[in-house]
Amino acid sequence: MIGALTRPRARVEAAADQPVISMVDVGMTYPNGKVALADVNVRIPGGDFVFLVGPSGAGKSTFIRLLIREQLPTSGRVVVAGRDLSRLRRRDVPKLRRRIGIVFQDFRLLPAKTVFENVAFALEVTGAAGSEIRRRVPQLLSLVGLQDHADHLPTQLSGGEQQRVAIARALVHDPAMLIADEPTGNLDPVTSWEIIQLLIQINALGTTVLMATHNQEIVNAMRRRVLALEHGTLVRDESGAAYEREY
Amino acid sequence: MSPFAFVRFIGFAVVRAWQGFWRNAMMSLAATATVILMLVLLSGLFIVIAGLNSGLEFIENKVGVTARLLEGVPQSQREVVIAYAEDLPGVATVEYVSPEDAMLRLREAYRQRGQTLDLGGADITLYASIEISLVDPDAAAAVAEALGSRPEVDRITTQQDTYEELLNIIGVIRTVGIVALGLVGLTVLFMIVNTIRIAVYSRANEIEIMRLVGASDSFIRWPFILEGILCGLIGALITMVLVAIVWEPIQPVLVTVFQMPTAVSAQFLATLSGVVLGAGLGVSALGSWISVRSNLSAAT
Repeated sequence: MIGALTRPRARVEAAADQPVISMVDVGMTYPNGKVALADVNVRIPGGDFVFLVGPSGAGKSTFIRLLIREQLPTSGRVVVAGRDLSRLRRRDVPKLRRRIGIVFQDFRLLPAKTVFENVAFALEVTGAAGSEIRRRVPQLLSLVGLQDHADHLPTQLSGGEQQRVAIARALVHDPAMLIADEPTGNLDPVTSWEIIQLLIQINALGTTVLMATHNQEIVNAMRRRVLALEHGTLVRDESGAAYEREY
Repeated sequence: MSPFAFVRFIGFAVVRAWQGFWRNAMMSLAATATVILMLVLLSGLFIVIAGLNSGLEFIENKVGVTARLLEGVPQSQREVVIAYAEDLPGVATVEYVSPEDAMLRLREAYRQRGQTLDLGGADITLYASIEISLVDPDAAAAVAEALGSRPEVDRITTQQDTYEELLNIIGVIRTVGIVALGLVGLTVLFMIVNTIRIAVYSRANEIEIMRLVGASDSFIRWPFILEGILCGLIGALITMVLVAIVWEPIQPVLVTVFQMPTAVSAQFLATLSGVVLGAGLGVSALGSWISVRSNLSAAT
């Protein structure tokens, strides 16, 4: 099972220490004059597990939107999976997005589709063959522990299970990086830990994980790299760190 | 895109378009109904204008100038007039109709109506005349005027008035029809644009997920464009069935009233079906393309 899900591509990137994400002097000022990000410099190598923390309005959402090229920075350079996003042609944006998996606090599953169909949808809309869908979806459902729930509708699942479906969907294109935007925001503490365990497992398989969160307990317990944003500025970039500054 | 991938793409887009059509069934059916209204109007206009054009062509062949000659014009004079007429611009043929020929024609006309010409034993001589057929019906007035000034000619008659009248009617019908068709066409466009706009909004969640998982623009857009085209296609097919149903009773009318020889051929119905299908698909494709452009253009 694990063998089928290893990512040679991600491993090469990790081995060569090529950054999966690189931001150089990135600034984002909205047309109304609000500065969402200013002079952000970040380099995240392949295989890293990074927490993105900061109060609401600090720029975390803008940070993520720049990575998936929903927006372009007003200054500086964003490089994701080897591609300079400012130079990326519009028609190449979908290819970039297949290299990045993303999950949200509210899961964003399609309520009328079953668990299997929700994951399969991400393959269908990118033109995958039926044989590939039938092979790939069960693999991913096993990875997230939902192989027995393939025919359930999202409404028949708990919050934690729904988030697992969203994670399976995010991994369907074998991305180099998984972005999780407050993935435990709607979950109870026990379920939150289950999701974190799953993200650790995915990270161990070679996928870079960037998780935006307000959950202090998790960040403090994990002791991973922490990027802290405040008022659009990167105030802290520390390995093995806690949610709050400790010095 | 490989051929297999292309087939998968088409399959995906068609299935999604079909689902989308029925998901907003009320709106889709309303749009389809306006398409039918437009196409029925178009078919009616097409048939009437084709019929009138055909009638016009029939009359064009008949439009000529008849010059009644004075009594007692000698043969030599007659030949001069004929030669003069033949040299006029726009003239195709010139034929002399003697009083005897005229009488024969009169008898024939009576016979065709199932009557017999009864002169009551009176010795009646009809006028001799020359009949001029024209290359160009518009030359009738000039030919009539030139011949009318000849001393041998008693009176001129032409079918120019009938021709002019028909030409005017066709012009009016064509203008009114095209304006009406344009207005209904705009309504169709508006309905399709709206139908697709609602379809896009009702699938906003799906579209967002599609973008996030890396669906290309064509996978996002084409199902909506096809959904609009589906309204046009269904509308066109229904209209074609309606036209085929009414064709049986109207075909003889076209032949007898408009002297329309093409109405008997299957070609005419095929041409009409082609026009209906083309207009239905064209307008609906344009409408859904406009809608997708304006409602999905923010896709980045």
